[in-house]
Amino acid sequence: MHLVLANYFPVLVFLAIALGIGGAMVGGSMLVARQMPYAEKVSAYECGFEAFGDARRRFDVRFYLVAILFIIFDLEVAFLFPWAISLGRIGLFGFFSMLAFLGVLTVGFIYEWCKGALEWE
Amino acid sequence: MISASAFFFYLFSAILLASAAAVVTSRNPVHAVLFLILAFFNAAGLFLLAGAEFLAMILLIVYVGAVAVLFLFVVMMLDVDFVQLREGVQKYAPVGAAVGAVLFGELWAVVLGWQVSPGADSLQGSPTPANMDNTHALGQVLYTDYVYLFQVSSLILLVAMIGAIVLTHRRREGTRRQNITMQQTRSVRDTLETLQVRMGAGVQELGILRPRPRAEPAEEEPRHEHAAGDH
Repeated sequence: MHLVLANYFPVLVFLAIALGIGGAMVGGSMLVARQMPYAEKVSAYECGFEAFGDARRRFDVRFYLVAILFIIFDLEVAFLFPWAISLGRIGLFGFFSMLAFLGVLTVGFIYEWCKGALEWE
Repeated sequence: MISASAFFFYLFSAILLASAAAVVTSRNPVHAVLFLILAFFNAAGLFLLAGAEFLAMILLIVYVGAVAVLFLFVVMMLDVDFVQLREGVQKYAPVGAAVGAVLFGELWAVVLGWQVSPGADSLQGSPTPANMDNTHALGQVLYTDYVYLFQVSSLILLVAMIGAIVLTHRRREGTRRQNITMQQTRSVRDTLETLQVRMGAGVQELGILRPRPRAEPAEEEPRHEHAAGDH
């Protein structure tokens, strides 16, 4: 187990560097720069005119459809990783069981293609 | 002196618990989703420490990459109005507290009565093989020993796909769609015309002012102009 964790040491180094740089930037500008906020300065800036409304406005449901279709194919790819690295040991049966899995999802893909769910109008 | 893995276990757990508390208590739902992403990252770190390397990576790919984005979309779609939300608090507080108390009591009973059965280890269908990493071990049983469950998961994904399309997809009236066949089959003659123009002659004089009347029905017009922009 410790051998596996040792492989993640570069990730840890990256995390430390990212935290260091991020903290230095935010902290440095807080410590060194002069802070003189007033109501007009900290208000939302929108190209010179007053903001028309809240930034939190409703999204179209179509974004949700794109995201959920993405998740499904994301999961499909997640199933492919263990299959790919152990393909040599699971033989033809494992190979064709993955092909059946992909076939079922291809049926879904053809369905969404024909329904026009992938088009943006 | 605690070991490095113990140190990171406590670090990840502390951040995980703090960000989970922040998910529940933060007022802004978008901030709650961002804290949820932080919680996912720390849970991935904990999985990694426990030796479940594949689960940690899947947590990052699926939950951080996709589900968190979906949560953000849902939060944006709900159009949460805090003034409206606060109005009902007084009225529904007793009912909510009663339901919460019942659920808490049940959870407490489960936690108190928890004990690991002595023969549990021997009942494992496929024990973790030694000298093999997580992803290899998973790949060796998932596609052969558990083939039915694997195929059922593909059917579940198919149902999710169809359900999402049935629930959210609809044809909109009054929107323009790209008609690729039409775009590809039109010729240069339909769009371009070469004219011999005298020096200094105005457009009125030559009679080449646009738009010229066309033989096609009027509704086809915007699609053609759209396609002309592509060429």
